[in-house]
Amino acid sequence: MTAADIDADRAAVGQVLAGDVSAFEAIVRRWQGPLVNLAYRFCRDRARAEEMAQEVFLRAYRALGQWRRDAAFSTWLFALAANLYRTELRRNPPPAVALDRVAEPRDWRSEDGGFEEQEIAGNVRQLVASMPAKYRDALVLYYFHDMDILGAAHSLGISEGTMKARLSRGRELLRRKMSAPAGPRTREEL
Amino acid sequence: MTNGELDRYLAGEPPIVPSSGFAANVMDAVRREAATPPPIPFPWKRAIPGFVGALLIVVCFAVVFATTPITGAVPALFPRAAEILDAARAIGAGWILLALLLSYLSVRLAKLVARAPW
Repeated sequence: MTAADIDADRAAVGQVLAGDVSAFEAIVRRWQGPLVNLAYRFCRDRARAEEMAQEVFLRAYRALGQWRRDAAFSTWLFALAANLYRTELRRNPPPAVALDRVAEPRDWRSEDGGFEEQEIAGNVRQLVASMPAKYRDALVLYYFHDMDILGAAHSLGISEGTMKARLSRGRELLRRKMSAPAGPRTREEL
Repeated sequence: MTNGELDRYLAGEPPIVPSSGFAANVMDAVRREAATPPPIPFPWKRAIPGFVGALLIVVCFAVVFATTPITGAVPALFPRAAEILDAARAIGAGWILLALLLSYLSVRLAKLVARAPW
């Protein structure tokens, strides 16, 4: 994010607080992509991701006066979004994918030059979405923030040390699950 | 699987693009929100004396219950009730209940006052 973006956010927020509702559209247009993508990483459902992102914008609009300008607007917005997405998933969790049931073969090297790699990546992301909330949140936000631990910690409202610990434990859990042989499948899954 | 591989799978996720009408839908919702009159705030300044009065009445009842001996219809209707109440009084159950009630009410009141838009 550039300094111009930060200034544009400040100006738009100032205009909205002064009563110009249409100035909020600039904020929506600037942040719709990141907020929908973040929501999608949590729920893995495009329609739901848009609903959740819309709710974040509405809450941001209502709470705009509470943004203290000592931090970037985006930091405040992402913290609000992460909080809402986590609450929403706690209340209405996505369809569960048992960690043991998504395990892949042990050899991760691609044999067909890309397709298998994509499939594995998809499974890894699906596994992340199915992890216990505190590890899922840490992993989702870490990769969403381009592997910036501090940014992810700010969005989650936790310390950098806690973030590192959760990330390490989450990765370890993920690695272990990915290395496990696939569990027996139920009749419904066959 | 190494951390590097995990990073590649998770950081390399292709972004999704919001649907074309997304921003317009959000702005419609925001405009509706802006057009809605703000909710009438709860009249805390008027309500607090009422809450305090109700609290005092509850405290008075609790004190009377804790200090008055049991007589009359209750023991006749429930023969074991007098024994239970005597035992409760012996361990100071009335005061314990009163203390718990006051603690609960003070926490609730503090939360309500903290949330109130003064």
